[in-house]
Amino acid sequence: MQRESSAGYLTRAPRSSGLADVLEILLDRGLVIDAYVRVSLVGIELLTIDLRVVIASVDTYLRFAEAVNRLDLRAVDDSKSVPDLFEKGGEEMAETKTKGAVEGGMDAIKEKIGLGGRGGDDDEDEERSGSRSRSGSNDR
Amino acid sequence: MSRLYLYGVTRPREVEERLAEQGIFLIAAEDCAAIVSDLDEGPVEATRRNLLAHADVVEQLHVEAVVLPARFGHVLESGEEAFELLALPEIEQLLERHETTCELTLKGTYEESVLAEVGAELGPLRAAYRAEPSVDAGIALGEAVGEGLSERRAHDASLVLEGLGPLIIDLVSSGPSGELAAFDFALLADRDSVEAIAARLEELAARLSPPLHFKLVGPLPPYSFVHLTSPAVA
Repeated sequence: MQRESSAGYLTRAPRSSGLADVLEILLDRGLVIDAYVRVSLVGIELLTIDLRVVIASVDTYLRFAEAVNRLDLRAVDDSKSVPDLFEKGGEEMAETKTKGAVEGGMDAIKEKIGLGGRGGDDDEDEERSGSRSRSGSNDR
Repeated sequence: MSRLYLYGVTRPREVEERLAEQGIFLIAAEDCAAIVSDLDEGPVEATRRNLLAHADVVEQLHVEAVVLPARFGHVLESGEEAFELLALPEIEQLLERHETTCELTLKGTYEESVLAEVGAELGPLRAAYRAEPSVDAGIALGEAVGEGLSERRAHDASLVLEGLGPLIIDLVSSGPSGELAAFDFALLADRDSVEAIAARLEELAARLSPPLHFKLVGPLPPYSFVHLTSPAVA
């Protein structure tokens, strides 16, 4: 479905694919005719806020600092005066933390739109492993 | 008559077989039609499956002609309500406005290396953090990096919008939704401009990448440009 430019910096997809693409579009955009809305979406509207708050958190600042420091070491320290082990350790730590934060965000979303319980866990695994071909056939 | 789930509004026409087989049909007035399917009792659940099905219906029908996509969760109690909805003058206005338009979502994301570029100006704070990697020094450095990144975002976003220029009819910009996100645009464009926009983005990528990556999705129905100014219905 997706194709990349020769340089690989522009990814294109003709249609929405996967929950991430449609979530904001369908819950936050689109034609609204109040008289006919029958679903309470109050909880769901919070999710975009949740994700955006993350940007200005202390956690973010510390991750930025750590990353700049690590990239610094990598660029400047060809002499290997800093042990490889240290650098690698720092990198793994940063990745784990980032991943945790992102997944935490997704969990919050799932919880809010009621995907956490029942069959929802299957979907989540599906989404994460990137095999979207079954497109929710086992949902509910 | 049973309740109906509303996907959106379009011009009267045939529904392709694949969608018809899924129970999607049109309730047509003279010049416009509601895209609906029968709905059981009970609430509409915002499950992954339901959300993706809604997107599939409006995006498939948009391939051939204008669709005003409804936000998820509209239910009509009867076919009568569909005709009431179709009679709203604003529906016709929106259909006319979007007769040949489409929405493109454009997201920009940085590689981590942008932090090194931003941090290049911050020698003293970097040195302080390296000498003593305390929480305070980390926050001081990180905050400065965050500030630099904000400036970088604003700079790159305006370069992109300048580059696209008159190819874009309208724009909705959401705040970046991640630490390394650069921008998140919904662009309204003529269907005929899509390839020109993609070509322009290739040129911009040649200037701004790395560290900036673009993701362009569409042509989609104009999800972000179907706001009713007076959504009240009798």
